[in-house]
Amino acid sequence: MPNLIPALPEIFLAVAAMALLMAGVFLNPQTASRNVSYTSAGVLVVTIAIVGLVTDGTATTFGGAFITDTFAVFVKALILIATAVAVIMSREYLEQNGIFRFEFPVLMVLAALGMMMMVSANDMIALYLGLELQSLSLYVIASFQRESTRSAEAGLKYFVLGALSSGLLLYGISLVYGFSGTTGFDKLAGLFIGGDAPVGVIVGLVFILAGFAFKVSAVPFHMWTPDVYEGAPTPVTAFFAVAPKIAALALMTRTMVGAFGDLGAEWSQVIIFVSIASMILGAFAAINQKNIKRLMAYSSIGHMGYALIGLAVAGAADDAVTRSDGLQGLLVYLAIYMFMNIGTFACILLMRRNNRMVEGIDDLAGLSKTNPAMAFVLAAFMFSMAGIPPLAGFFGKLYIFLAAVEAELFALAIIGVLSSVVAAFYYIRIVKVMYFDDPEEAFDKPISREMKAVLIVTGAVVLLFIVYPLPILSGASLATAALMPG
Amino acid sequence: MIIQSLAFYLFSIVIVASALMVISARNPVHSVLFLILAFFNSAGLFVLLGAEFLAMILVVVYVGAVAVLFLFVVMMLDINFAALREGFQQYLPLGAMVGLVLLIELGIIFGSWAIAPEVADLSSAPIPSDVTNTEALGRLIYTDYIYFFQAAGMVLLVAMIGAIVLTHRSRPGVRKQRIGEQVARRPSDTIEVRKVPTGGGI
Amino acid sequence: MYLAAVFLPLLGGLIAGSLSFIPDGGEKERKHKLDRAAQLITCGGMLLAAVAALVTFISVVLGGETGALEIFTWIDSGSMELSWELRADTLSLVMVLMVTVVSSMIHIYSVGYMSHDHSIPRFQSYLSLFTFFMLMLVTSNNLVQMFFGWEGVGLMSYLLIGFWFERPSACAAAIKAFVVNRVGDFGFALGIFATFLMFDTINFDVIFGLAEAQADQTINVFSGEFHALTVICLLLFVGAMGKSAQLGLHTWLPDAMEGPTPVSALIHAATMVTAGVFMVARLSPLFEHSDVALTVVTIVGASTAIFAATIGCVQNDIKRVIAYSTCSQLGYMFFALGVSAYSAGIFHLVTHAFFKALLFLGAGSVIHAMSDEQDMRKMGGLYKLIPVTYVMMWIGSLALAGVWPFAGFFSKDIVLEAAWGAHSAVGQYAFWLGIAAAFLTAFYSWRLLIMTFHGKPRADEVTMAHVHESPKVMLLPLMVLSVGAIFAGLGLYNWFVGAGTVDFWGNAIFVLEGHDALENAHHVPLWVKYLPLVVGLAGIAMAYVFYMFAPGIPAAIASTFKGVHRFLLNKWYFDELYDFLFVKPAFRLGHGLWKGGDGQVIDGVGPDGIAAATRNLARRAAALQSGFLYHYAFAMLLGVAILVTWFLVTGG
Repeated sequence: MPNLIPALPEIFLAVAAMALLMAGVFLNPQTASRNVSYTSAGVLVVTIAIVGLVTDGTATTFGGAFITDTFAVFVKALILIATAVAVIMSREYLEQNGIFRFEFPVLMVLAALGMMMMVSANDMIALYLGLELQSLSLYVIASFQRESTRSAEAGLKYFVLGALSSGLLLYGISLVYGFSGTTGFDKLAGLFIGGDAPVGVIVGLVFILAGFAFKVSAVPFHMWTPDVYEGAPTPVTAFFAVAPKIAALALMTRTMVGAFGDLGAEWSQVIIFVSIASMILGAFAAINQKNIKRLMAYSSIGHMGYALIGLAVAGAADDAVTRSDGLQGLLVYLAIYMFMNIGTFACILLMRRNNRMVEGIDDLAGLSKTNPAMAFVLAAFMFSMAGIPPLAGFFGKLYIFLAAVEAELFALAIIGVLSSVVAAFYYIRIVKVMYFDDPEEAFDKPISREMKAVLIVTGAVVLLFIVYPLPILSGASLATAALMPG
Repeated sequence: MIIQSLAFYLFSIVIVASALMVISARNPVHSVLFLILAFFNSAGLFVLLGAEFLAMILVVVYVGAVAVLFLFVVMMLDINFAALREGFQQYLPLGAMVGLVLLIELGIIFGSWAIAPEVADLSSAPIPSDVTNTEALGRLIYTDYIYFFQAAGMVLLVAMIGAIVLTHRSRPGVRKQRIGEQVARRPSDTIEVRKVPTGGGI
Repeated sequence: MYLAAVFLPLLGGLIAGSLSFIPDGGEKERKHKLDRAAQLITCGGMLLAAVAALVTFISVVLGGETGALEIFTWIDSGSMELSWELRADTLSLVMVLMVTVVSSMIHIYSVGYMSHDHSIPRFQSYLSLFTFFMLMLVTSNNLVQMFFGWEGVGLMSYLLIGFWFERPSACAAAIKAFVVNRVGDFGFALGIFATFLMFDTINFDVIFGLAEAQADQTINVFSGEFHALTVICLLLFVGAMGKSAQLGLHTWLPDAMEGPTPVSALIHAATMVTAGVFMVARLSPLFEHSDVALTVVTIVGASTAIFAATIGCVQNDIKRVIAYSTCSQLGYMFFALGVSAYSAGIFHLVTHAFFKALLFLGAGSVIHAMSDEQDMRKMGGLYKLIPVTYVMMWIGSLALAGVWPFAGFFSKDIVLEAAWGAHSAVGQYAFWLGIAAAFLTAFYSWRLLIMTFHGKPRADEVTMAHVHESPKVMLLPLMVLSVGAIFAGLGLYNWFVGAGTVDFWGNAIFVLEGHDALENAHHVPLWVKYLPLVVGLAGIAMAYVFYMFAPGIPAAIASTFKGVHRFLLNKWYFDELYDFLFVKPAFRLGHGLWKGGDGQVIDGVGPDGIAAATRNLARRAAALQSGFLYHYAFAMLLGVAILVTWFLVTGG
């Protein structure tokens, strides 16, 4: 009988998901969706508490295939928060588009379960299963608005390319297994001391990283992102932009640092390549975008590029202190990225006229006059994403670039800074459109209470990080300690 | 041993050849049929390894369910495969080059494959002799690999939900059987026995 | 007291300046109140400053309390130690008293002259600030503070000349004054640097103490060894030439007439233009050790005197005539300095301040009366209409021409006698050119008087009907100045250059043993003494002949010597020469750098180029997104293939 305590949050979430599914089927159809939705959010919040309660140091179970530690707690907390907020934010949109069905929150919960399994994966098979559970849920909700061809196309594209990436990942896993004879991270970690590895393992790693890079939408495995972001229902895009990215990066980190830490010099080359490519593409391709969801897709590609710098540092740096600085920078960046993105998408979700979504950047024109509060908050998010002090986004970039400089990865730091200059152009253009262009018709009012709450909380985090950064910083530092003892 | 080897090479060659036919046959129905052939031969390989349970499952699931489903889909959806191949010629050179490069590289990698000394012994005695194939699998799945098994279950659950969510439509006005109601019906609910006077009518 | 004299103008200027920012809301009443407040504050400040200056003058010069008043430390960096200090010696106090008195007169005059202007607080504020900077300059105890005042007056002159900035010609003149002065200031700045290099300090007392010891030092300039003090003095003299409008750097002065007339009086009479003269006198301990520098000063001064006088004879703008006359008189001062007769130079400076301010303000009064007409050819016959101004102009002209007993007689005489007394070739050069200039001075002064006030009115009837005597507030300063123009020479002769000179000047001026031009000036032959007066009277007589009794002669001469006339009329073609030598090439260079250097290279490669490249890249990057699934899949596989190849090639 394996020890189930470490996996208690996952078990709870799985059981809750199935219970919610049943409840959705048998409850009164009129109110089922709404009830399931709110309960799902509640379940996710409760799960955060369980995650915090059951984790006491590092513990493995299921024959070493499953691991919990402070790193997992930190990342799972981010994922669960992001998912819960996404569930809450999606209600209004789905109701207005007539696709509010109870399966939607359940699928989100199942996706969250998959992500938690990814974060806790300590074995290649566990990794793959978690990834697939997450991906499959995401494929479904991407095409949830099935009457819309754009949504269906988004889901299909995501699915086909996702299958390809899973294939690459599996191929890599089998190569690694073939050349090392094991799939367990703990065993793998003991095999390559000194950085010696058969070329098959290295190539396997390349394939695995390609699979991961697809999930974090890093260049050149990003191609699905703009189309899917644009086509999928907006709350789904909001969800895509945050939680799966965090989960995939965490998975990537645990796999690379945990299982292949001694091969850092090898895999960090791949990370550096995709990081540079992502930063540059994220900066340039967004400039000509007219659709704000598409713009956010490129923006998130760019942000993933910056975040990957942290991972590159964790692989390439010579000394342990710098390596953990890189990881810490990565985690801080992810946390800040989550708040910025949720807030931004909350604003995008509010872009409705006469009960219809509008997605053009031009539609924001003159927002400062029609809705000054929303314009202010959105401007804060944009400045933060552009990395303007004293907002949170600046500090995210600061830690990352500092780590890169410490690790003497100057090319990364310089390209990062330059590309964020280019990226600032399109972020600040949105501010310009809101504040200096002639007003368009106002967006629909009133704004629901949950949206207001989301905007206030995320806005506060972005604005006040400089005043009280301790929770995020110390959390990230604790999480790093779990992955990099000493 | 010689017979085993011969059988192995026979199955393998047929698998590779039919796999090639799957992607190169012009008629999609032929492709599916070649796929079925490949499945059968794979099952043969499993049998050679002594994994008769897997062999049977392969035949039942893949041939009996998946491949047949494919066949239905191919025949039901009237896809113009010629149109799909339109760009084929155009992209062939570049695609082929990249494919070739990858192939050569993978060849190099497998050239460096080192076989552990104990592999020969392990492969000749793959299964404990005192338990059946099915029993052995069951023991592993429900003990050491319970986590993977359950996780796979969740994946399948999501697949099922997804299939329902994306395709199920409740059409109003469609007459459906309601078994429960039918069974629960009593003659007294629907049948009224009237005494009809002769020649009186109702 | 000393502090009050220097800083009251600053205070008044700042208050009046801030008044100009108070919106009047378009109400006449309110605007009038603001204007009146600004006028009262600045005039009151200046008058108080003049009183304070007089008190200080008495205690320092007559009481002998020389020294320096330290205000606070300014720079203390390495061996560079500077303080804001007010130097109190005769030279400074003479200047302070003269500046405050003349300036306060000009302030009061401006109340009347500018009464129709719509930015009176600004004007009064500029005047006061200008005076403050000038006071800062003359009271400085080190070169840097002097440079501060120097640049301050440069700035204020720019603002004042361009006061009517709506006029393009005023803006152009302001820019010209500023730029030409920059040339001089560059020399001055280099001189300060060289001084610091040589002496390791720029405090006057220390420099003057060390000058004797450093007299034989050489300095390396462009890899040639030169006599150090000569280099320093010449560089500083370049600065003086710029401010005092000496030959070569004089071109800004006539154009500066674009400013309001009180400004012309302030700049051309009492203050800015005398800064150069003052500076050379102040640095006499340095100049005394360099014969070359003194020779240069003499030659430049004498040449300017005759050069400006010749131009003055043919100009038709009443203010320009006086401006060239100023230029010419400054030449006198310089060659006086050049022959080591510093006190004579300063004497002429003081008397000139009075009568030139008088002339300018008188001219202003004429212009005021003529409804802003400045061309003398359109005047004439005014003497009955504006008798007070007429009398004042007579007094000023008599002083300028050097007729006994007016102020100019004494100062010009002593200057010319000193030149003779130098007993040197350059002294003779200066003397004879000075005599010729004196003749021309008298000639053009009376030409001005006759053309303006006598003969038939040449203006149209409307203007003539409108001619009126200026208000009292303008006439009063004229009268005060005329007192100075009459009596300053007689009254101050003894102190400045006569028997009491040694006691009067104290240590303020240093003359090397053997440089005894001033002493010799008192013992020149009788004909030398009378010659200036004689040529002056001759010049007056000739002007009467030419313009009163036989008006046909000037035209006949002008047509006979057409070339000479045009040469003079065009001011020796200096402006054209500079335009060709410096302005045009500078424009071409600037234009080339702007269009080619900045526009094409820097902007083209820099902001514009990068922006264009970014947009181009953005378009291409966005075009990568074709929407076709197999393109996406291919990109992924390509990425994998590249990475795998990378590892296989680099060996993992």
